[in-house]
Amino acid sequence: MRTLKLVVVAIIFLATGFSANAQLTGTQIIDKTYNRATGEDQTSTLKMTLTNKQGKQRIRTIKQFSKDFGDVEKSIMFFQSPADVKNTSFMNWSYDSDKSDDQWIYLPALKRVKRISSDSKSDYFMGSDFTYDDLGDRKLNADNHKLLREEIINGKACYVVESISKDEDYMYSKTITWIDKSNFVGVKKEFYDEVEELLKILTIKKVEEISGFYVITNSEMKNVQKNHKTTMILSGVKVNTGVSASKFSERIMTRGI
Amino acid sequence: MGNKLILLVVILFVSSFAKAQKLDVSGFARTYEGVTYENGDFTIIQQTLNLNFEKRGEKVAFKANPMVYLYNADSLNLNIREVYMDMYFKNFDLRVGKQQIVWGKADGVFITDIVSPLNLSEFLLPDFDEIRTGVIATKLDYYIGNSTIEAIWIPQFTPTIRPDANSIWYIQPEFPALTTFDWSQSEIKPSLENSEFFLKWSAMTSKVDFELMGGYTWDDNPTMHVQKQFGMDTTTMPPSPILTDLTITPEHHRLTVGGGSFSTEIKGVILRGEAAYYNGKYFQTEDPTAEDALIQKDYLNYVAGIDFNIGKVKLSTQFIQKYILDYNDMMPDNEFHNTATFMARYDMMRETLHLELFSYIGLSDQDALIRPKITYDFDDSFSILLGGNIFVGERDGQFGQYQDNSMIYTKIKYNF
Repeated sequence: MRTLKLVVVAIIFLATGFSANAQLTGTQIIDKTYNRATGEDQTSTLKMTLTNKQGKQRIRTIKQFSKDFGDVEKSIMFFQSPADVKNTSFMNWSYDSDKSDDQWIYLPALKRVKRISSDSKSDYFMGSDFTYDDLGDRKLNADNHKLLREEIINGKACYVVESISKDEDYMYSKTITWIDKSNFVGVKKEFYDEVEELLKILTIKKVEEISGFYVITNSEMKNVQKNHKTTMILSGVKVNTGVSASKFSERIMTRGI
Repeated sequence: MGNKLILLVVILFVSSFAKAQKLDVSGFARTYEGVTYENGDFTIIQQTLNLNFEKRGEKVAFKANPMVYLYNADSLNLNIREVYMDMYFKNFDLRVGKQQIVWGKADGVFITDIVSPLNLSEFLLPDFDEIRTGVIATKLDYYIGNSTIEAIWIPQFTPTIRPDANSIWYIQPEFPALTTFDWSQSEIKPSLENSEFFLKWSAMTSKVDFELMGGYTWDDNPTMHVQKQFGMDTTTMPPSPILTDLTITPEHHRLTVGGGSFSTEIKGVILRGEAAYYNGKYFQTEDPTAEDALIQKDYLNYVAGIDFNIGKVKLSTQFIQKYILDYNDMMPDNEFHNTATFMARYDMMRETLHLELFSYIGLSDQDALIRPKITYDFDDSFSILLGGNIFVGERDGQFGQYQDNSMIYTKIKYNF
């Protein structure tokens, strides 16, 4: 009898597929992507290159730190170039709950840390092609997710998931994301504007395994309507080095690194 | 010529020193021209070189910020805005030297932000980062979790800088009789007894940021002690007393100030507030029995403001009120004095073109200063600004009095 039970269980398992991934819904895939292990803390230098349609480039360099405190993830950025924003710092506290992010900016000329609204997530970050929302942790339940298909892109087997915002006024009518089935790292993402025309394409150009975690170290966002693009290259990436909690404070924002 | 030579030597020496010590050097060069549209005069012709020399280590840091202004063709002015040393310890930091200290949450108004006095030689027109003057101080910041206790000792008092008598921002006061100024009491000698002390407790939390402050300070603006001398008017029958001479003695007095500020976010809107209670301020009075035509009163100064977005436009507005307690009808100042500010900003063309409008609105005086500007960034280091300073309203108001100084201006700036 015991043997029979085991056989029945085994048949059910086989019938539902060897891999748990085979049954994933669009929401589950995005959940795994958003909640992919990235380490307790991370340090890196970001080089952001903005290229306009004439090919002229503007470069921003940012030193950044982030740390996961469980229910809140804190990140801090120190702008190193260009000269007019040097020593400016920006801090974000992002919560697992529905609480909106807390954000502060320190402008060295004004010598004051100022709380700013996190409501403008559709604003472009430092004139780049990335909005704050594109860069941050978008909440899983902010969109309805649907698995469209599976396909191979750049030799990688991918899920293709469509996400439509529950907020009708959101700047994107939909996004379509290609996610590597093997590690749940994004490979490509298309952003569609309010009239469902393709607006931007995000291409992940390089993923590195650092201290056992997958880190996107080279990505490009291209605005196909206006023909300008932004590349983001991470260097000096360190994971789980024990970044101090005191790093995410007014003291360090004003003092710098 | 002598000053220019000294200045040149100082800059060359500091630059050589910076190179030898591998200091981090940054700053900007700027040309700034303004023309009043009433008469077409170039009232501002100013070239500026701002240099920042910094060296930062694990435990110590150093900063020097000389700023050189060339007014018109030949009037050179060197201003050491800041020169200080930092020492970093486990739970506290110490900064010693000339420094600018900014407190509070308000924009463009100074309620608890009273540690560094203002340079009003160009009224309120300089950028907010240039309108403060440095103070020679020792500042200690002690950190406990997310909160900071800041203690400041200023051994040498620095007053507000006022416009020169030949400046377009100087308003000639009108006196009813021959007036003599006695400046002998206007200086505060540096001493332990004459020191200023400030204390602040601040915290930055997920719900609210706040500051509580107190200060035992000097009034940055001198009190005008007025002594009247009377003669007899013999042309009337019977002869009557007549005011013949005034002696005005500017003198700084002690002030005790306590206050606080906060900022928080509610549904995407930033709420800000700031208030301070000033104890022992001297005001002018027309009471003939008052000694030196002065009366001492306490007053409350506060601001409430919000920052919000409509689409891509960033907006901010503030209401400011000054309230004199135990008011006396013989005081020329209003019991309540109300002002508002309004700011709108729109960034476009991938943040290379910036449109901004900032206004002070004198609700009590029925006047305003309206400041539109447009800035274009040619590249990351080079920008050009075209703006206007438009003074409107009653001529006896804080802003309306400068109606003839309404101007358009341009600033071209190179950052390095």
